[in-house]
Amino acid sequence: MMNKHKFIQQRRPQWKRFEEFLYGTSRKSLSKLEAEQITEFSRLLREVSHDLATIRSRGWGHDLISYLNDLVARGHNLFYGAPPSNLSVFYRYVSLEFPRLFRANIGYFLTACLLFFLPLGISWYVVQNNPSLASRVIPEEIMSRFDTMYSDHGESDPDNASEEGSESEPEGRSSFGDERATMAGFYINNNVGIALKCFALGILLGIGTVYTLLFNGIFLGAVSGYVISQGHGERFLSFVISHGSFELTAIAVAGGAGLMLGNALIHPGQRTRFQSLQVRGLEAVQIAGGAAVMLVVAALIEAFWSPSDVSPMLKYSVGSVLWLIVFLYLAFAGLQSDETGETAAQPGPSEKPGELPSA
Amino acid sequence: MATATSELDLAQTSAVYQEEVYSNQPRKLSLDMQIETPENVILTYQLAGPAQRYLAYLIDLIIRMVVMIGLLMFVMPMMSLVLPGTALGLFLVLMFLNTWGYYTISEGFFKGQSIGKHFCGIRVIREGGYPITFWPAVLRNLVRSADAIMFYGIGITSMLLTRRFQRLGDLAAGTVVIQERSLKLPRKPVILDKIKPLDKNEIGSFLPRDEVLSLIDEFIGRRHVLTYERGHALAGILAQNLADRLHYSGDPKKVTHYPMAFLAAVYKTFSFSQAEEEQDVVSEYLKQSGFGEFHDE
Repeated sequence: MMNKHKFIQQRRPQWKRFEEFLYGTSRKSLSKLEAEQITEFSRLLREVSHDLATIRSRGWGHDLISYLNDLVARGHNLFYGAPPSNLSVFYRYVSLEFPRLFRANIGYFLTACLLFFLPLGISWYVVQNNPSLASRVIPEEIMSRFDTMYSDHGESDPDNASEEGSESEPEGRSSFGDERATMAGFYINNNVGIALKCFALGILLGIGTVYTLLFNGIFLGAVSGYVISQGHGERFLSFVISHGSFELTAIAVAGGAGLMLGNALIHPGQRTRFQSLQVRGLEAVQIAGGAAVMLVVAALIEAFWSPSDVSPMLKYSVGSVLWLIVFLYLAFAGLQSDETGETAAQPGPSEKPGELPSA
Repeated sequence: MATATSELDLAQTSAVYQEEVYSNQPRKLSLDMQIETPENVILTYQLAGPAQRYLAYLIDLIIRMVVMIGLLMFVMPMMSLVLPGTALGLFLVLMFLNTWGYYTISEGFFKGQSIGKHFCGIRVIREGGYPITFWPAVLRNLVRSADAIMFYGIGITSMLLTRRFQRLGDLAAGTVVIQERSLKLPRKPVILDKIKPLDKNEIGSFLPRDEVLSLIDEFIGRRHVLTYERGHALAGILAQNLADRLHYSGDPKKVTHYPMAFLAAVYKTFSFSQAEEEQDVVSEYLKQSGFGEFHDE
């Protein structure tokens, strides 16, 4: 039988030592420490945990419990921290993990395609045959912009449909390449933002995602139909075909990820709704991340290649190759080196990563 | 035993003590979250409430605005002299990163703390007590745009409806926001040298439990945060209780007029001599009941 004060006196040096570890390593990760230091740290973590259990069971005071509790909690947080990542992780994600996750959840993508491309096609067909209907979908000022845009120069992009529908394009008027850089920034800001929002709103039972997909589909279709009906078909199609490959596909990919979130809540299966949301959510966000990467590529193509002055034929052929690349990438990337088929980079909620961070 | 617990309960309700992990009472509404570590120790985390999180959000918002306005005011004109279009494009990319990347990058790479959270002493961790990693950080901050509908009305509603104050992003990513108190080892309690232990002749054979002694220890250690009257009143309850329990036959004024001193005396009496006393009592008992001879057979 030991009394409280003797216990504190005896254990205090170890607690202080442990505190030093916490403050010393709070700025950097544990993996930068020497091997024996890590050993000592893990030993101390177990000892302090044991002290906490001892004090709890003896009822030796609230202050002492909360102090040791915080000590262990911080140590725990540090000890089980993930090893730092680097560029190779990003490469692995783009080349393997994203396409695999995408294929594992292809049904959601196909549903999103239906919700996006079907309204696009219908509204394109309808508006091209009845151009007067375009004004019901497209705001007035944007309509007039298209008319002027295609009558003098074809530099700007007609299809950056934003949810507000009235994003005014920034004015950059110096050299040609310089102006394109502005547009690249604009497309990244606008399009990736819309796709991410389209994904995130999926958590509202998928309603937000469905709305965004339908709206953008109808809008883009109406714009395409209207511009072609005004006789700018060649210029317009040769402009959109290249970046459309990445952009339109990525919108559907992000939409599919959003539908995953919503569906996890609607059909949780054997899990509770919250568990289901967590498991599916971690996969969904990794798919949405891939869509964001694709949209950045699309923005660069749209800004630097699509408006260039080469012949429409060349643009059509390059555009077709790009469509093929997108298809091959999503269909086959990471297929051959499929060792496990399990690509979740995160330990599931049930697992406990009980290993030392690799030094 | 039960009587000692009732004392403890009295003192606890008066001093707003939190219930312990091992109690079997129904859970109260509280900001506590308990997890069990692989070392089989139960850790208690203090969740951060909506107000704290809102404050952190405001700080972050101000920082983000100031950075963007600063870029617009100083950097842009300088760059515009050289490459106006590129400067504008870069600005738009930065604006995108500011909108979608600020929280993700800060929480994903700086151990779950954005600048505002750091100032408020709160941190994002995963529900199992593990540090937050990259993808959960991305997820929780993309869903932020859904939480932000109606001035964070959705997020706040979700926080109030969940046991761990989680907004939708937290629910999806399996994260919680906790408070981090500053680590401080409880002070050494009062110097007990001047306190005389109680006279053995004035008390019965009752032994207070460790919890009661710890309670006295902490109460005396914290007595300066209470006003004198309040401290006196609180100490009076426990002192009177203990005096009855101990069949204290000394000066009753010591209990009613100087309850703090009485408690300190009780503490001194039992906390330092207890171990030896117990030993003595046990061996005495063994001798009396003839166990000594019994063992020798």
